[in-house]
Amino acid sequence: MPEIDLHRIPNGFDPAQIPSIVYGNKSINDNSPSGYPYSDTEAYESFPKKFPRRVFYKKTAFVNQEEFSTSIIDSPDNQDSITQVILLENEEDQVQELIFQIRKSLSITYHESLANRILTLFNDAKEEDSDCLGIAAESLRNFYNFFRLHTNLKCPTISLTPDYNIYASWRGEQNRVFSVHFLPNGDVRFVIFKANDRHPKRKIRISGVATIDILMEAVKPFHIEGWISE
Amino acid sequence: MKGDQIPDTDHVARFCRPMQVSDGQIQATAFLLRPGEKSLSVNWLEFLNCSSRESEITKIRTTYSETFTVGARARIAILNGGEVRKKVLTESPDGQNLEVLHDPLMNDPSHSGIYNLKQDDELIAELILETVRESYSARK
Repeated sequence: MPEIDLHRIPNGFDPAQIPSIVYGNKSINDNSPSGYPYSDTEAYESFPKKFPRRVFYKKTAFVNQEEFSTSIIDSPDNQDSITQVILLENEEDQVQELIFQIRKSLSITYHESLANRILTLFNDAKEEDSDCLGIAAESLRNFYNFFRLHTNLKCPTISLTPDYNIYASWRGEQNRVFSVHFLPNGDVRFVIFKANDRHPKRKIRISGVATIDILMEAVKPFHIEGWISE
Repeated sequence: MKGDQIPDTDHVARFCRPMQVSDGQIQATAFLLRPGEKSLSVNWLEFLNCSSRESEITKIRTTYSETFTVGARARIAILNGGEVRKKVLTESPDGQNLEVLHDPLMNDPSHSGIYNLKQDDELIAELILETVRESYSARK
């Protein structure tokens, strides 16, 4: 009877050739060789894959940020550890895919800069806390969709909110500010600071909520598009 | 003592995470509350009783490194308590009255908080950002 070589590494990924049985709370390690689904392997390589993916925390403890409790996501009904791993991997996979889409979107003027910046933010978040979300995928998707609607925007300064949502800011002369917080539900919260032309020592400050599809229309009275576009 | 109001002439340091810093510039997201937080954590610099800003920063960096992971791009924002309060009081649409209160912790006696902030208040975060006058690397 032929012996089964358990240590042999398959040459190609063929799920049928890799019998996997997972017991209890053990996680599955995907050892499939190469075969990246993307042609831009350099960028793919730069996407962190080394982070341990164990438990999905919606909130994580942060020292010196007291009165903030740590809790494991509880929707729906406190998923078991395998479900949580899958949730986190799905979210990270979505972020990875979105970064690639942004990088490949030649119609967006600063597609490369945006993709690189988002990747840096993801790495920074993971460096601090490898169990964190990194970037909220739906927030990033809304950010991407916004740029697909407005392809000629200048490159904003991007940072992450404490919820790992994308926050983009454009700053101009006379301390003009236009900042947009991309929420995962498709809404955006925006802030506008601009000079008050009639009262030079004063400023106009506006904040509001909109959806990505009508944001630029909503802020039209404040002549934002002129200075944040190329 | 816990709950003491920090004098308006004094300064506080805010730890700004790498994801809230871009090209060394601190962003407004550094001044947004995390879900469940009631105050923005800061450290009262004059409480440290140091002779210079440099030695205050050195002490703060030590406190950070002993208590949490400090990313390479993390920064420390220096704020004047009175300036933050006045700015937000006079320039926020509803005249928000912030309080900067001492809130010592066992391992962090200069720990303090900026209170009366609301969750998800990007406008206030942008106003506070405008009061940042100095920033330093948060890493030792």
